[in-house]
Amino acid sequence: MSSFWLNYLPVAIILSSLLPGLIIFTLKEQQVKLRISLNLLGVTVKLILVLIMWQAVKAGNIFYFSLPFLPGADLVLQGDALSLLFVVLSSVLWLATTIYAIGYLENSPLRSRFFGYFSLCVSATVGLALSGNLVSFLLFYELLTLATFPLVVHRGTPESLAAGRRYLAYTLTGGLLLLTGIALLHSVVQSPQFIPGGYVSAVVAEHAGLLTVAFALMIVGLGVKAALLPLHGWLPQAMVAPAPVSALLHAVAVVKAGAFGIIRLVYDVFGVDSMQQLQLAQPLMLLAAATILFGSWRALAQQDIKRRLAYSTISQVSYITVGVAMLGPLAAVGGLVHLVHQGVMKITLFFCAGNYAETLGVHKIRELNGAGRRMPLTSAAFTLAALGMIGIPPTAGFISKWYLGLGAVATDNNLILMVFVLSGLLNAGYFLPIVYRLWFLPQRGSWPEDQRLSATLETHWMLLLPLLFTALLIILMGLFASTGVSPLSWAQLIVEREFSYD
Amino acid sequence: MIILLLVLPLLSALLMLLWPRIAPLLALLSAAASSMLALQLLLQVAEQGSRYMLLAGWPSPLAIAWQADTLSCLLILLTTVLQLLVGFYAFATRSRDKLGQGFWPLSSLLQVSLTALWLSRDLFNLYVCLELLGLVAVALVSLSGRSAVKPALNYLLLSLFGSLCYLLGVVLLYGMYGVLDIAGLARSWQTDWLSSSALSLMSLGLMLKAALWPLHAWLPSAHAAAPAPVSALLSALVVKGPLFILSLLWLQLASVAQAQAAALLFAVAGLAALLFGGWSALRTPFSKNLVAYSTVAQLGYVTLALGLMLKFDQPLIFAALWLFVLAHALAKAACFLAVGEMSATLGGKRLTTLKGASQTMPLAMFAFAVAGGSLIGLPPSGGFVAKWALLQGLWLQGELLLWPLALVFATLLSAAYVFRVVALAFDRADPVAPDFAPQVLPQWLALLPALAVWAMALFSETLLQLLRLEAL
Amino acid sequence: MTELSESLLLFLITAASLVAVGVYGFIIGPEPLRRILALNIISAGIFMLMVVLAYRGYDSAQATADPVLQALVLTGLVVALSATAFALTLLARLEPSSENSAPEGPEQ
Repeated sequence: MSSFWLNYLPVAIILSSLLPGLIIFTLKEQQVKLRISLNLLGVTVKLILVLIMWQAVKAGNIFYFSLPFLPGADLVLQGDALSLLFVVLSSVLWLATTIYAIGYLENSPLRSRFFGYFSLCVSATVGLALSGNLVSFLLFYELLTLATFPLVVHRGTPESLAAGRRYLAYTLTGGLLLLTGIALLHSVVQSPQFIPGGYVSAVVAEHAGLLTVAFALMIVGLGVKAALLPLHGWLPQAMVAPAPVSALLHAVAVVKAGAFGIIRLVYDVFGVDSMQQLQLAQPLMLLAAATILFGSWRALAQQDIKRRLAYSTISQVSYITVGVAMLGPLAAVGGLVHLVHQGVMKITLFFCAGNYAETLGVHKIRELNGAGRRMPLTSAAFTLAALGMIGIPPTAGFISKWYLGLGAVATDNNLILMVFVLSGLLNAGYFLPIVYRLWFLPQRGSWPEDQRLSATLETHWMLLLPLLFTALLIILMGLFASTGVSPLSWAQLIVEREFSYD
Repeated sequence: MIILLLVLPLLSALLMLLWPRIAPLLALLSAAASSMLALQLLLQVAEQGSRYMLLAGWPSPLAIAWQADTLSCLLILLTTVLQLLVGFYAFATRSRDKLGQGFWPLSSLLQVSLTALWLSRDLFNLYVCLELLGLVAVALVSLSGRSAVKPALNYLLLSLFGSLCYLLGVVLLYGMYGVLDIAGLARSWQTDWLSSSALSLMSLGLMLKAALWPLHAWLPSAHAAAPAPVSALLSALVVKGPLFILSLLWLQLASVAQAQAAALLFAVAGLAALLFGGWSALRTPFSKNLVAYSTVAQLGYVTLALGLMLKFDQPLIFAALWLFVLAHALAKAACFLAVGEMSATLGGKRLTTLKGASQTMPLAMFAFAVAGGSLIGLPPSGGFVAKWALLQGLWLQGELLLWPLALVFATLLSAAYVFRVVALAFDRADPVAPDFAPQVLPQWLALLPALAVWAMALFSETLLQLLRLEAL
Repeated sequence: MTELSESLLLFLITAASLVAVGVYGFIIGPEPLRRILALNIISAGIFMLMVVLAYRGYDSAQATADPVLQALVLTGLVVALSATAFALTLLARLEPSSENSAPEGPEQ
């Protein structure tokens, strides 16, 4: 393929989900087959394109595509190692979630709208991953907010509308603060492309105060989506959305957008040196550490499955931030790989929660007693993901926590190490009782709403397949972490490139 | 070409009176032709620089001075394109909304008066354009029948009062300097109490006509009472006319001392408009009033930018001012058309009629949301570019805290009222059923300017450059 | 500008008071008709001011008044007249609807 066409690859990757999404909006409710094929076509095309890009980036290429926009800030799409990490994650999980959503929403109304926004949401996420400077990032960040709002309020009940309003209030304010921060930074150094080592080092001495303010504004703006401590309020409430949406919000799109933004900001805008010079990393790290403990602590007290998972997300996403903020290469590997691992594990957990709700009508943890016998595959996947969250080998979670721990030791952050240990205990404290109930406690009475969705399987195959796939990934990513195709090796590649600039 | 831009709609207005039957056709044709002409003029001016004209060949002090610079050409283009679009909308809904035959010639006259206003650089000529604009606008408001007469009359009286204030200022200035064209006045301008009071009188009148806070009270009722296409024209274009004159006066005539003295007043008035308009939009139970209050709020951005421009004299802020005007015009046209379409189909003026509109009329709702995105200033919309330019301009001046903070707060308010509507539209509990099958074409027509305002972002660099040059 | 002689001062004061009276009437009067009349009084004041300003003395060679201002007054009169006519039409349309008795006439 000529290099000319390769330059359009980032655009093509975004369009591969955007176009089907736009077409789906125009479809009628009854055109189920067409809609499903469009969705799957988009997913397949996207995966192929991502594969092409992955090969090229691995070989050391970087993709650029730019459109003139603001003076000093073009709209840039950039395919580098870091963006690809997030692109691969979102495309693969989009595949899983699409299949799951098709099964989950079978026979429910307004599916065209749902899948339209769903595709928009993925396009925004991929665009965000591929964006090559802060202004483009902001664009997709806001687009993501707008695309997810209809999904959060999809049920249209007063409860979900309240959640939607709250979600908007948080994320729009966050987006605005991010805008202010980016504009402030732009007024100092313009908005060049992301580059390992950052681009602010030249003006650190001169504009230390301004840079600090801009950094704080941007972190607050990103922190809303990444659910950092005082800004997490929207997330547990947004649980009223349908299960595929929660899965998407938590594992792929929204919270990860925040976390990914923090990674970009720390490594490719400010750079490790400037971060150290301005002493910005320490407060961020402490905030994230506090969030880890807070999220785990609150998760313990939740009785609703999805709410417990939500608080668990708050805690787990902050692992990424902590890993990034420690500014050491090992910790960075841990943080980056956790971005992928947490995504896969959390999406599995949400698929399971959705299956319990859809098949048995179970929403509360105490109703789960004995569900392992009724739904063995789902429960096995849940158990696996829960063990991964706690960090037990040989799951994927173990790998990321291991590197995070190593990183904490390497950067002399004993406090953080303590946080990891404590949080690991808390994780065990809120996940193991569920696992215990699933397998070892007898069923209490009948299920709230038992539905036989399949003649032979425990539930509809479309609900089962995605979670088996992601559960398999959890094991594979753990077992084959040392091979060349694992997220770990990719994270190491990124860190190598990020830390080896001059 | 400039003459043709005026003669064409005027002639077609006359022809419409003669043959009312083909009036819509004539109006659309003339609007389309004018749009092409305006585009050509803009390209020409952008390439070759401003064009000056002295009407009727008289020498300079006696003749009426006209100038076609890039800003004027942009505004003319905006006017003609919106005329065309609104004309299409009115044509598409003609069987439903009984607009009456009056709409077509009046809208052509509106185009004439606006075009003349953007071009004119002569204080008295501006007065005539302003007066004509006001009369045509009132006539358009009164088209929607009995219920609109009272707001229309109120609008007319205030508008006349505003023009008289302006006229008095013009007369004072002529008495002092004996010149009427702005360039000539600027050359002999002196800072004394007489010129200051003339300037304040004119500003008072113009602010009343442009519905700038605190003289905005007439706007919501007048704009809400008018039929949807008319409100779109009023909010998008008509209020911008007096604003244009206001900026001419202050940026070209006023001396530095006078500008500095007024800067803070304008900025504070703009801020108050943002807060008050936003708050009222958040409270009002009627959908069209919400959009109208949003106009009050958005004009606050423009006033704020004017005040800051006077204070800092920064070309970026000037660019921001006109970007706000352009973005607001497109977005507000889309909002009014969408809301008008929804309330016509769903049958009700209240905001609660829009309940569940995301299902019943997804296109119109989408148009509203997209336009609302620009009103909020979400990237990559025109509103975003304007806000970005304003922020950058402020920071270039070292203004770090106060005004940016105010902007952030105002943005949140606008987000609140836009999403007040959008959230309601997603309410699925019991959606309001349409009175009749929703028409598709008008909804698309409402969506068009909303998409245009987002497309504006793609040309933002060009626009910023053009407008910045204009400020020097 | 031309020197204002003593006698012109009288005209000036009259013009100013006309404007003042008009503004007062406009702000005070709630009734539309009164406000329309008030606007007319204001414009009369302004036109008078214009006529006064057009004065260029009796004795000089080109002893004509300033033609520009006179032209402006004429234009202004036309505008004011049409505006008033329009306002009155609107008022007439408003009246029957407030009484709610008279049948609606066909629009002209």
